[in-house]
Amino acid sequence: MTKVSVQVTSPGRRSDVFPVEEGAVLYLALKNILHYRGRTIVTFLLSFLSALLFITYVALMDGSHEHSLRTALGVYNSALHVYERGYREQGGYDYLIEDVQSVESLLKRVAGIRAYAPRLETYVLLSMPSDSAGAMVVGIDPARERRISSIASALKQGRYLSEDDTNAIYMGEELALRLSCRVGDTVALIGTATDGSFAAENFKVVGLFRTGLFQFDSVAAFVNKPFFDTVMLSRDMASYIVVSVDDLDHMDRVKSCIERLLPGDLEVVPWTTLMHAQVQAMEVDSVFGYISMAVFFVVIFFVIMIFSFLNISGRTRELGMLRAIGLGPWDIFRLLYIEVLIIAVPAVSLAILTGVPVTWYFEVHPIVIKGIAETYRQYGIISDQLPMRCDLVTILWNGGVVFVINLLAVIYPVMLVNRLSPVEAMRHV
Amino acid sequence: MKRLFWVFVLCTGYFLLFSVAAYALDANELVRKVEDNFRGRDVHMKMEMRITSARHQRTIRIESWSVGKKKAFMKILYPPRDRGITFLKLGNQLYQYVPRIERIVKIPPSMMLQSWMGSDFTNDDMVKESSLADDYTARVIRQDGPMVTLELVPKPDAAVVWGKIISVVDTRTLTQVTDIFYDDSGQKVREMFYSRVRRFGNHQIPTVMRLKPLEKGKEKNETVVRLLDVVYDQGISPSYFTREALRRFSR
Repeated sequence: MTKVSVQVTSPGRRSDVFPVEEGAVLYLALKNILHYRGRTIVTFLLSFLSALLFITYVALMDGSHEHSLRTALGVYNSALHVYERGYREQGGYDYLIEDVQSVESLLKRVAGIRAYAPRLETYVLLSMPSDSAGAMVVGIDPARERRISSIASALKQGRYLSEDDTNAIYMGEELALRLSCRVGDTVALIGTATDGSFAAENFKVVGLFRTGLFQFDSVAAFVNKPFFDTVMLSRDMASYIVVSVDDLDHMDRVKSCIERLLPGDLEVVPWTTLMHAQVQAMEVDSVFGYISMAVFFVVIFFVIMIFSFLNISGRTRELGMLRAIGLGPWDIFRLLYIEVLIIAVPAVSLAILTGVPVTWYFEVHPIVIKGIAETYRQYGIISDQLPMRCDLVTILWNGGVVFVINLLAVIYPVMLVNRLSPVEAMRHV
Repeated sequence: MKRLFWVFVLCTGYFLLFSVAAYALDANELVRKVEDNFRGRDVHMKMEMRITSARHQRTIRIESWSVGKKKAFMKILYPPRDRGITFLKLGNQLYQYVPRIERIVKIPPSMMLQSWMGSDFTNDDMVKESSLADDYTARVIRQDGPMVTLELVPKPDAAVVWGKIISVVDTRTLTQVTDIFYDDSGQKVREMFYSRVRRFGNHQIPTVMRLKPLEKGKEKNETVVRLLDVVYDQGISPSYFTREALRRFSR
């Protein structure tokens, strides 16, 4: 039985209720925690593990989403595109940028741009003697493109384009499969030049790439833009200029700077708009992730609540005795909440302190599940890596949620035990 | 008196029924006659196509040979950059030969809706346009003297692009005056205007066809086809309608 000192401080209150000084309640709570060691350890572990699980789950979900987006972004899109207004809605040659050099001279003046390059995107027919297929053939500057996209590093066979190439084409592996062609074969390109005339040329396949983006790999091919311009009659023209930035977090500032410099008939479109569908898909996936977590938390909440209920109701006689010697319902409430705080604060803090290095480690050394990209490539998964995202703010609010759940879970058992009179509580079996 | 009344009702019913059937038959028959008039048994044409877009204008000259509705051969005569490109239509298949790459290419289904030679016509137009009578069911929706307005709705199993075509036909010359093309959602997509009807042998045909796309962003686009020289029913060698002809007649 725990001893407690009581002191009358308010003569106006009911005669059987004695407000207890804070130190006494804290002392009592600590004694109870140490006395019921088993209960303490189980409650601590329950809070710690649920907090750690939540932190790592959210870190994995956010990390893998960000990784997918950034990988897809790095493959081809990059941070910003500069378009002639109308190109994105209508496409076609009526909305090409016709004075690429002057736009580039403006881009040179913007701080925060890492690299930029023009692209001429055309939809043409590629033909082998046995098979033909529609394809997106893009005229690029091979050297500058290296600094913007990972097209060059996605090489699987042969070689990437060089600046001296003329009739050379670098195509997606899946497109090569559709055309039944290999490195060294000659493929005919048939399309419409920018003036509407017929454009046709033979190209030798110099290399095949695989980005992992299945759709992209099955339609995309690249050629050296200076030569392609002679075929498409597109000198100093581009479908758009792709821009990569030094720091993606400062992209909006760079975008505003570019917009201030460019003439009104050009627009700057960020990757979040270009990849709107993927961003939305990730957001929807996150919502489903949080719904699963909400279900998980309902379970955790009831587990903690039932566990607290069993513990508190097991101490009914003891709590009745405390009431009998002068503690009021508010003191009992304080006592039990201080006990929860003493257990939950270190448990959640430890989960946060463990979560930070764990998520940081798996951010730097992502979890690798072999074959996941191959299995889910049609959904845009292009890497076997599943990194976590170590973000302190996210980790803190994740821990906070588990802490609040701990507090909420004790309300009902405390209310239940406080409903009994001291005599009823002491007679409780 | 009562018996007389029922005889009158029955006669009127039969009359109406036959009239409707005859009218429906007329509409489809009219489409067939218009197509037959334009196509003839065989036809050799020289034409000019002027393509206008927001930024460009260009002219192409074409020579074509066709027999019935299944076979057609076309050769580009002008401009010099495109000279010698040949097209062969065999049924629903479209082939082309490009001298620069010396290759015969069959246009795959995925490219059928792409622009033909940068014009507002698609590859699909080159293959499907001549099968209006086969793929659509026609009905008369208005008659204003010799001018008949027809509504053409695709047959249930027809693989066609348009959701509906409203066509105005001049029954005196059996020529189209206007065609309005609608997509599946009932949206107007393009209009075709026919004018300057001239007689070539036994056929009276419009010699100017103006195609105007109505999609957003194509407000300035227009393709005008002018028939320069037309010869009907003189007999065309079957040698034009082989894949080898694409290369041989390219020169």
